[in-house]
Amino acid sequence: MAYETLQDIENCMDNGWSDGLPVIPPYGSLVEEMLSAIGWKAGDVIGEIADQNIIVRAEKAAATAVMAGCKIEYGPLLRSLSQALLDPRFNIGGVEVTTGGAAVLVIVSGPIVEQLGFEHRANALGANNRANATVGRFAQMMRHFCGSGGGVLTPHGTVGHPGRLSFCIAEHPSTEWGPYHTQYGLPASASAVSIMSAEGPNSCNNHYGETGVSILDTIGDCMNHYGQTAWYYRSGGFVVVIPPDHMALVKEQFSREQAADYIYANARRQTDDLIKAGRIAKDPIPYAEVEEHSLRSPLKSLDQLSFIECGDEGGRFSAVIPRWVGSQQVVCMAIEEVKK
Amino acid sequence: MTEKTNTLDALKLPIAQLISCGDISCELLVDPIPRPAPEPIKVRLKPKQSRVVLVDHQKPNSMAILKLTQTILRKRGVEVNDEILVKDDASRPMTAAMLNLLSQEGGLVLCGISD
Repeated sequence: MAYETLQDIENCMDNGWSDGLPVIPPYGSLVEEMLSAIGWKAGDVIGEIADQNIIVRAEKAAATAVMAGCKIEYGPLLRSLSQALLDPRFNIGGVEVTTGGAAVLVIVSGPIVEQLGFEHRANALGANNRANATVGRFAQMMRHFCGSGGGVLTPHGTVGHPGRLSFCIAEHPSTEWGPYHTQYGLPASASAVSIMSAEGPNSCNNHYGETGVSILDTIGDCMNHYGQTAWYYRSGGFVVVIPPDHMALVKEQFSREQAADYIYANARRQTDDLIKAGRIAKDPIPYAEVEEHSLRSPLKSLDQLSFIECGDEGGRFSAVIPRWVGSQQVVCMAIEEVKK
Repeated sequence: MTEKTNTLDALKLPIAQLISCGDISCELLVDPIPRPAPEPIKVRLKPKQSRVVLVDHQKPNSMAILKLTQTILRKRGVEVNDEILVKDDASRPMTAAMLNLLSQEGGLVLCGISD
């Protein structure tokens, strides 16, 4: 590598053009190539962050993709992902600055997982693989670059989590319950990218359960600890990650809808205990819909629960990923071929 | 003992332009960061009137802290509005209507208080 390139990397890092890790400098020729792969012109308006008076043009997303180390082949995926990130439902500015320390969780599903070489088996939630790492990094860099009012707003995450550098999960191309995106109305044959803001994953270990019920009870218990953010506002939800060994038991007793119903009905805590523990305000706001002397679910409604199938065989683990309470919807976009 | 840095003083905005120079020529790098346009809203740093307006942003314990603040300030002789305004959603920016209303306020607006 030429000395000048190293100097350019240092310049980017010293001047606020970085997520904390070294970046590929956004040379014009590389950004042009990326724009062509994404199917946009440099000046195209691809989103607006109205409350920050910011208009986002395509060259910003293309430069960020180059800097994150994305390959040109990722263009169609990056197009849909950029649109999802700038969708007002996602609340990108809120995710950037919240005390909740949330990251952008990116879920890739459908045939594109194999086409682009995403890791969906070993260490599926944090794979050392270029597609997972750079697409996940692109999403966090967009959050950081576009959500901070041009650098005026500073993030306030109290503890945050490592996913704020990269957090991308790819689903098995072949699933027991249908692709992830079918939970958001897209056809099973589609390739899709779904985003939501999320806390870090909680591992659910169960090596001795012999039924699907025992696995879902373990998952439900993991959603139910006192420290879970969801207890008061309940506006986020959870992603449940079920790898093959646990799925082998669960699928014998439950469809995806039945599993959701079971968790919603059974994963609950006594509201009075939550108040006593300080997890719910004694004088709650109406939005929280607190009913004393009743069992409370960390979910306000069933549609806040989704399931993804990924991870390797040979270990009896699942995981629960709590979504941040401040961006209440999953934004799911189909990935289409880019027209040249 | 560690000296604390004032966050606002330490805030270094990302640079708007970077140039890469080789032996023969230079080229501009593409700025990845969208900037606000027009300038972000300007606020008066010193209130015109000696009055405090409280705004609850609905984060945990915000209302409880503001009510206590109201009591303490009044005991100290500071005029504080009776009504504590409430922002709709803790996680989303203030609505334009509320921002507009508060931008006309001559007193000190206290918002974003919680634990």
